[in-house]
Amino acid sequence: MTASQSRRPGLTERLLDVHNLKVHFQVSDRTIRAVDGVDFHVRPAECVGIVGESGSGKSTLVRAVSRLMPNLRINELSGDLRFEGRHILEMSERDLRALRRSHGFSMIFQDPLGYLNPTHRVGRQIAEALSPQGKGRPDGQRVHSLLQEVGFSDPKSVAHSFPHELSGGMRQRVMIAIALASDPKLLFADEPTTALDATVQLQVLQTLYRIHKERNMAVVIITHDLGVVAELCDRVYVMQTGKVVETADTVDLFERPKHSYSARLIELSAHRVDFRSAAP
Amino acid sequence: MKPQILSLEGVSQIYASRGSKGWRREYVHAVDGVDLDIREGETLAIVGESGSGKSTLAKMLLMLNNPTKGNVTYRGTRLKSLGAVERSQYRRQVQAVFQDPASSLNPRMTVEQTLSHVANRHNIVAKADLGRFLKEQLAAVGLNPPEQYLGRYPHQLSGGQQQRIAIARAIMLKPKIIIADEPLSSLDVSVQAQILQLLSELRKTTNVGFVIISHDLGAMQSIADRTAVMYKGRVVEIGRAIYQSPVHPYTRLLLDARLLPNPRGNRIRSPVPKQVTPTALSASTGGCRFLQRCPYAIEVCAAVDPQLQTMDGEATQVACHRAKELSAALTPA
Ligand SMILES: Nc1ncnc2c1ncn2[C@@H]1O[C@H](COP(=O)(O)OP(=O)(O)OP(=O)(O)O)[C@@H](O)[C@H]1O
Ligand SMILES: Nc1ncnc2c1ncn2[C@@H]1O[C@H](COP(=O)(O)OP(=O)(O)OP(=O)(O)O)[C@@H](O)[C@H]1O
Ligand code: SF4
Ligand SMILES: [Mg+2]
Ligand SMILES: [Mg+2]
Repeated sequence: MTASQSRRPGLTERLLDVHNLKVHFQVSDRTIRAVDGVDFHVRPAECVGIVGESGSGKSTLVRAVSRLMPNLRINELSGDLRFEGRHILEMSERDLRALRRSHGFSMIFQDPLGYLNPTHRVGRQIAEALSPQGKGRPDGQRVHSLLQEVGFSDPKSVAHSFPHELSGGMRQRVMIAIALASDPKLLFADEPTTALDATVQLQVLQTLYRIHKERNMAVVIITHDLGVVAELCDRVYVMQTGKVVETADTVDLFERPKHSYSARLIELSAHRVDFRSAAP
Repeated sequence: MKPQILSLEGVSQIYASRGSKGWRREYVHAVDGVDLDIREGETLAIVGESGSGKSTLAKMLLMLNNPTKGNVTYRGTRLKSLGAVERSQYRRQVQAVFQDPASSLNPRMTVEQTLSHVANRHNIVAKADLGRFLKEQLAAVGLNPPEQYLGRYPHQLSGGQQQRIAIARAIMLKPKIIIADEPLSSLDVSVQAQILQLLSELRKTTNVGFVIISHDLGAMQSIADRTAVMYKGRVVEIGRAIYQSPVHPYTRLLLDARLLPNPRGNRIRSPVPKQVTPTALSASTGGCRFLQRCPYAIEVCAAVDPQLQTMDGEATQVACHRAKELSAALTPA
């Protein structure tokens, strides 16, 4: 694969560099500071985790960076955002499309049903992602091997299904296959495995990790599952109310959290409270 | 033991879809002969394989799907034979929280409209008190300050905030049972703990029961009175102690695959190659569904479909020919 050869990770190099990102929404007469002055970066071939409060701006952050915010009432979107040195906020739609089409960034979303076309078979949607301009014949072999890569043992029947015929977990794996089709340098994954059972989750994460290593593909993963972050990520950002409250290497974060909120998340994940009713 | 409130008897759901050739119909046995009793006020967790029929089971309990075979009964009456009035009572007493919160909320209604619509339809609060009531409901699910959220449309909320609106909508009606499909997965552990606390208080004050479907085994362990494990359309194990002493080989596999918050763990980074030696026994129709992945399979597994059997002395049932041996091996001699 030529693309991965050109991706020698440099130590100080930054694939994605975000400085002072602000995303403020307008809801009637109120301003919502969803992301409020965030610094964030990703090195080539690095795996970065984002954890934090529900509503703290995690999804908004990655949507802003990948410029996927259509028709929203935004009253401020500012900051210095660069992908391979190029200013993301100033890119033309055309350049953005080119980046999404090949060797740029891809995204896996929190709710797959909203992003799959309900009227097209899954195989066709993956084939479209493989050759988005409709050039060339859809390559059934590559569709099947992508489906196998994300853990389907019967790619043929999955390719022939419509999204509503698949379970929640199966749809999420289809989304991952679509995201991998463009051979991205950076993959954003917004809670990619919350809909999966533990065995499939492990299998998908092992796959993601293998592809991340083999293709030297950087990964940014948002999750509420600290077990996923602990085992997958090199570095972690912890967010609370639109701000990054802590960033650290994974081992440091888990063993020596500095911010009280990080410490609370780790404590609650390690020691579950017992809420069962007393009497059987 | 508390009385049963809902029960499933030999319930199956078969979906028909166009086959891969495009012309022949194919059938998916999403749920395949499930018997299950849900007792008043209990919290039953349903965990298991992706695609094993958990959501399909929930849809049948909610009367969104009719079972292809078998019966669902509510306090002894078959759902099929409920009259119009009883049906609407049932719909109030059994509330739902769906897997995909974004699609279960009306995108054209604000939070206030969604919640007041439900409140008004069921007359749960006097008009004059509605404003205060709605704010209390939002505060209870951790959306503070509540005024901030009332005017928003679903797309103006984060995933976890949408899920909490769906939870608020369900508990508002003080139902007898809440059927919740992945209600916690889009929440951080801190909000999760708050919601679990809220559910356990509700249980004490209103004796509401829960059927909670989830992949979060840690959260289920902390709230479930009983847990059913599903695999390929069947319940393969059900009991109170499945997390501490799993018996069925699938339950063990599932629990083993959990990721713990340990940064030095290497399950993902350098996975140990699976030790499961695939059985030489070939899959035949009629045998155990877990055969191909089971390290304990024996001759009989290929021929006979194991049924749920009660383990001695315990409230655990397991569908495995080797359940007795496997559970004996668990208890230190
Ligand atoms: N289009 C929008 N208009 C107004 N407010 C919005 C919009 N999208 C998001 N928000 C608000 O911005 C904040 C951040 O939302 P975001 O979806 O980024 O959170 P999150 O960290 O991903 O949360 P979760 O873990 O629950 O998914 C939330 O308070 C949310 O209500
Ligand atoms: N409308 C449908 N038409 C055809 N097949 C369907 C339909 N809905 C579900 N299925 C199939 O039925 C099986 C069970 O699906 P279901 O959604 O109940 O699984 P689940 O246990 O909830 O999975 P998950 O944990 O991934 O959400 C799957 O194989 C799925 O593909
Ligand atoms: S019945 Fe046999 S194949 Fe099935 S789970 Fe038990 S030991 Fe394994
Ligand atoms: Mg989010
Ligand atoms: Mg489901």
